Amino acid sequence: MKHVIIGVGAAGITAAKTLREKDPSCSITMISTDTHVHSRCMLHRYLSHERNEDTLSFVEPDFFETNRITWIKGAPVRTIDVEQKLVCLENGSSQPFDQLLIATGANSFIPPVGQFREANNVFGLRNLSDAQAIRPLSDQADKILIVGSGLVGMDAAYAFLEQGKDVTVVEMADRILPIQLNETAGQAYKDLFEAHGCRFLLGKKASETHMNDQGAIDFVSLDDGTRIDCDLVIVAAGVRPALECAQDTPIDIDRFIKVSDTMETSCPNIYAAGDVAGLSGIWPNAMKQGQTAALNMCGIHTVYEDRYAMKNTMNFYGLVTLSLGRGVAEEGDLVLEEEDAHNYRRAILRNGKLDSILLQGKIDYSGIYQYLIKNQIDLSGRETDIFHLSFADFYGVKDNGGYQYQV
Amino acid sequence: MRRIMIDASKCDGCKNCTVACMQAHRETPGTIYDLDLTDIRNESRNHIEKMPDGSYRPIFCRHCDLPECVMSCMSGALTKDPQTGIVSYDEKKCGSCFMCVMNCPYGVLKADTATHTKVIKCDFCLLDNAEPNCVKSCPKKAIYVEEVSL
Amino acid sequence: MNQCYGCNTCKSADQPLEGFIRSLPMETSHHRVEGQSTKCGFGLQGVCCRLCSNGPCRITPEAPRGICGASADTIVARNFLRAVASGSGCYIHIVENTALNLKKTAQAKGELKGIASLNHLADIFGIEEEDNYKKAEKVADAVLADLYKPEYVSAELIEKIAYAPRVARWKELGIMPGGAKAEVFKGVVKCSTNLNSDPVDMLTDCLKLGISTGVYGLTLTNLLNDVLLGQPELRMAPVGLRVIDPDYINIMITGHQHTIFVDLQERLISEEAKKKAQAAGARGFKLVGCTCVGQDLQLRGAHYTEVFDGHAGNNYTSEAILATGAIDAVLSEFNCTLPGIEPICDELKIKQICLDDVAKKANAELMQFDFAHREEQSDIIIDKIIESYKERRGTVPLHLMEDHGNDHTLTGVSEGSLKDFLGGKWTPLIELLAAGEIKGIAGVVGCSNLTAGGHDVLSVDLTKELIARDILVLTAGCSSGGIENCGLMTPEAAELAGPKLRAVCKKLGIPPVLNFGPCLAIGRLEIVATEIASELGVDLPKLPLVLSAAQWLEEQALADGCFGLALGLPLHLGLPPFVTGSKTAVQVLTEDMKELTGGQVIINDNAKESANILEQIILEKRQGLHI
Repeated sequence: MKHVIIGVGAAGITAAKTLREKDPSCSITMISTDTHVHSRCMLHRYLSHERNEDTLSFVEPDFFETNRITWIKGAPVRTIDVEQKLVCLENGSSQPFDQLLIATGANSFIPPVGQFREANNVFGLRNLSDAQAIRPLSDQADKILIVGSGLVGMDAAYAFLEQGKDVTVVEMADRILPIQLNETAGQAYKDLFEAHGCRFLLGKKASETHMNDQGAIDFVSLDDGTRIDCDLVIVAAGVRPALECAQDTPIDIDRFIKVSDTMETSCPNIYAAGDVAGLSGIWPNAMKQGQTAALNMCGIHTVYEDRYAMKNTMNFYGLVTLSLGRGVAEEGDLVLEEEDAHNYRRAILRNGKLDSILLQGKIDYSGIYQYLIKNQIDLSGRETDIFHLSFADFYGVKDNGGYQYQV
Repeated sequence: MRRIMIDASKCDGCKNCTVACMQAHRETPGTIYDLDLTDIRNESRNHIEKMPDGSYRPIFCRHCDLPECVMSCMSGALTKDPQTGIVSYDEKKCGSCFMCVMNCPYGVLKADTATHTKVIKCDFCLLDNAEPNCVKSCPKKAIYVEEVSL
Repeated sequence: MNQCYGCNTCKSADQPLEGFIRSLPMETSHHRVEGQSTKCGFGLQGVCCRLCSNGPCRITPEAPRGICGASADTIVARNFLRAVASGSGCYIHIVENTALNLKKTAQAKGELKGIASLNHLADIFGIEEEDNYKKAEKVADAVLADLYKPEYVSAELIEKIAYAPRVARWKELGIMPGGAKAEVFKGVVKCSTNLNSDPVDMLTDCLKLGISTGVYGLTLTNLLNDVLLGQPELRMAPVGLRVIDPDYINIMITGHQHTIFVDLQERLISEEAKKKAQAAGARGFKLVGCTCVGQDLQLRGAHYTEVFDGHAGNNYTSEAILATGAIDAVLSEFNCTLPGIEPICDELKIKQICLDDVAKKANAELMQFDFAHREEQSDIIIDKIIESYKERRGTVPLHLMEDHGNDHTLTGVSEGSLKDFLGGKWTPLIELLAAGEIKGIAGVVGCSNLTAGGHDVLSVDLTKELIARDILVLTAGCSSGGIENCGLMTPEAAELAGPKLRAVCKKLGIPPVLNFGPCLAIGRLEIVATEIASELGVDLPKLPLVLSAAQWLEEQALADGCFGLALGLPLHLGLPPFVTGSKTAVQVLTEDMKELTGGQVIINDNAKESANILEQIILEKRQGLHI
C-alpha cells in the first residue's frame, strides 16, 4: 500500500505516525512546501530569537528515518490527477498513490487595503517561511505595525516587544483578542502589553497606505485619519485554506475541501484533514483529524467525533488564560463571575449545563471543563460550584485503572 | 503497560504521596526532613480531593492509552512511549501553551506555579520496574502498580 | 481583575462580613481554608503518633500498632490528654496572673470595683477580715495557694466552690484534683513516650484536669475579675465593625487576661493622654474589643463607657477588624491572637505590642506586664501607639464597614445581673422551665472555627434551631462574638424563637440568646446551673441543660469540655476532637461517661440534627424531673 501525505503540519505528521503504527509494511511519502517540520504556534519564538528552525520542530530529528518515510520537502504540489492517482509537483515530477491525504493547512490572508498586497514589507505570520522572511527585516526595523489583535497578532507583538521594538497594534474591535476574550480578560493582557511598551489603537481600521520608492510601506493611515509610521507591517487578519492543489480537480470544494465523517473527500481514497478541511483551526483537532484519516486509509473504519473547537489557551508574560465556548450569554443564562488580584473567571451556564468558561490566572486542573461542555453534563444544583469542580466530583475508575466519568 | 492503580476507598488523605512526589522531583538533593514544604517550586504531580462525605479522591496521571494531552501538544514535548506506555514530558521542548492542561479530561495537569512555563506532569519517577515514590509512600496501599492491558 | 486577594474564602454565618473579607486585598484565614481542605485522615482520627524517633507511626489495617506497640487507643488517649493538659495550663496561667494582679492591687491599695464580689468570695472561702484590701489579698492568696499545691495534696477551694453532690461524685470516682499547676505537669508526664498506655486512666485524668480548669481557670477567674474590674451590668451596646470610630486612635485588644489592662484603661482616658492624642490629630483613644478579652470588657461595659467602643468581633473576625485600616495598634496578652494578623499588621503599619510572652507574636514588641511598673509601661505604650498613629494615618487607606453588626445587643449578662433582673431569685426562671414556657437551657459556648460549615456557621445555625424549639440559649466565648454580630442577641431576635420562648422574651424585653461574654464565663453558666439545681435540690445532670461547643477550636476548649463532662452535662461538638481512631475513647466519651459523671459527648456537624438530639435529651431530663 502506498500512502502519500501532502503537508507536514499537525494533521499530516499525526497521520504519518498513525499509518506507521498501524501498518509497519506500508510505503509512506510526505510532500511539503515547508523545508522544516515546525509548530506554527511557536513562530513568535522564532521571531524573538528564542527558538531556531530545529527547535521549532514538534517531532524528533530522526522522525522520517525512524518511521521509514520518504519526505519530499520544499516541493509545492501543482495538482492531483484523481484518475491516474498521481500527485503532480510544480517541479514536473509526480508521485503515485493508493491513498492520499491532503493536509496542506492554510495561508495568511492579506486584505486588499492600500498596497498591502504589493509592498515588500507586509507579511502574514503563518508558516516558517513567513517568519524567515520577517526576521531579517524586523531585526532592522524600529517601528512595527501589527494589524489585528488576535492570537497571531499578539504573538507577533510579543516577539517584537521582546526585541525592544516600537510596536503598534491596530484592532477593529473595541478590545484586544476579541474572539477569545471578553472585555475584562482582554484588559488584563492589554495592561501587560502596554506595560511592556505596546501601543494599541482600538476600534480602528487601516484604510490607506503609503509605499515608498523601495516598494516598502512607510506609513499607514487609519479610518480616523491617524497616521502610523512603520518599517514593517504584520497582517494578522485571518487565514484561507491552502487548497490550490485541489482546485480544478474532481475533488469537491466549498471554500474548504469537503470531507465525510471519515475525513474522505468526494473522491474515494483521497482524504483531507486539518485547516484545509475547514472543520477547525485548532491544533488538537487537526491532530485528531489526521489520525482519523490515517486509520481509515489503513482500512480501520473510524469516524471523526471530537468536533468541539471553541477552545483556546494563551500565555503571555506568564498570565495564562483558558477559554472554552463562545462566551456570549443568552437570555435566561446563569452567568457567574469571580475576580481577585490574580484571577478572573467567568462561566455561562445554560439550562444547568456549562456553555462557556473563561479562566484567567490559575488554570490548574481545568481540563474537566472541556469534557463538561462537550458532553453537556447536567450540573443542576451545583451550578454555583462551577469554579470549584474537579474530576473528583465525577470520579470513576475502570478495571484497567483508567479514569471514567460518573455522571 | 504498568499503571499506578487507585483504590480510592482506602485513601485517608494523608498526602504522603503528595510529599513523596515533591521529594522525588525536587531540584536540590536532600532527604524528606529537609524538603522545603513552603517552596512553591516543589510541586506534586498528584493531588487528593476530599469529598463532602469525608471520602478522598486521588487524582493521578493515568498515562492514558489515548492520551488527550499528547494529542494537543504543538511542540512535541508530550509523547507516549509505545513500549512502556508512559506519557512523558520534555520541559525543554514545551512551548508553554497549556493546551494539554485544557485537554486532559481528568483535570490532572497544571501549569507550574512559580513560572507558568512548564507543565507539572507525572513521569512515573522515570523508572522502568521499581515503584514510583508515591506508591512506595502510601501507608494504606491505596495506590499500587499493576501491569494492565488496554 | 480587581484588588481582591482571592474569591475562595470560606463561608461565614455573618454574610456581610463574608463579603467584606472576600473583598480584601490581603490574605486571611478565611482564604486559607480551601488550601487546607484535604485533611489527613490519620490526623483527623488522632492516630498519628510523633512521640518518638520511630515515628510518625500511623494506624492502618495492616499496621494496627505503632512500632513501640501502642494501639490506636493508646495513641489517641495520649494525644487527647496532652491537648487537655495544655488547654488546662492556658486557663491556669490566666487565673494565676489574675490572682497575682488582685493581690498586688490590694497591696498597693488600688481600686477594687467589685466589693460585693469580694465579700461573696470571702464568704465562700471562710475569710473573716474587716479591711477590704487585706480581704482581697487573702482571697487572692487562697487561690494561689491551691494553684501551687503538689498534685498529691488535695486542692481546698474546690469543695467550697463546686456543688456538693458533684464533689461527692468526684470523690467516688477518685478525680478530685490536687494543685492545678501540678495536675498539668502530671498530665504531660503521663502522656509522654512509653509511659502510660491505659486509655481509661488517661481519660480519667482529663476529667481531673477539667475540674481544676473549670473551678480555677473559669469560675474563679471571673469572680476575681469582678473584684478588680467591676460586676457586669445589663445594657444595650453596639457590636460589629461599626464600633470602630476612625476619629480616634484605636487599639484592638486580644487575649483573656483583662486585669492586665486595668491601669492602661484608666490612663487612656486621662487628660494627659487625650491631649497627646489631640496633638496627633485624633479625638482620643478607644479600645476596640476582639476575642475574649473584648467580650470581658463588653460584659463590664457599664464601667468603661468612655474608653471602650464596643466588641467588634471574635477570633476569626480579627483580620477583618485590622483590615478596616482604622486600628492603630494591637495589644495582645493571650490567645486567640492569630499568627495570620502579623503580615496584615506589617502591611497596614499597625503597631503590635505583646504584654505577656506566652503569646509573643513574631513581629511584635514584647513588653512583659510588670505590675510594679504598670504606670510607666502604660505611658510607654501610649507614646508608641501615638507614633504608630502618626506614621500610618493618612497613608493607610480606610476600608470601614460602618453598617456591620447592630447597635442594640444585650450585654452584661452574668449570674449576678441575670438574677437581679429576675428580682434577686431564680424562681421566675424555674417556673418558666417547669411550665414548659422555656423547654430547657442550652449553653452554646467555646470558640469559632472555620471548618464546621464556615465561620460561626454551625454555632449560629444551631442557636437558631434551639431557640426555635423554645430552648433558651446562653453563650460564652467566641461563639458570643459571632452570634451577637448576626443579631441574635437583640430583642427583635425573639421573632426567631418558638412561640413560647418568643412570648417570654417579648414580655421581658430580652433576646432569646443571652450573652455571658468570654469563654471564661462558662464558669458563670456553671454557677447559674448550680444555683438552679440547688434550689430544686437535684444534681446537675438532672437539669434540662445541655452544652454545645459547636465550633470548638483549640486545646482550651477541650479542657472546658472536660469540665462540662465532669459536671455531668451533655456536651455537643461539631467536629470530633481527634479521638475517633480509638474505639475505647469513643465508647468512654459518648457512652460510659453517662454512668461515670452523667455527661456525654455528642458529635454532629449538622445544625438541625444536633438540635434534635439536644432537644431529645432535654425532654428526657424534663421527664426525669416530672415536668
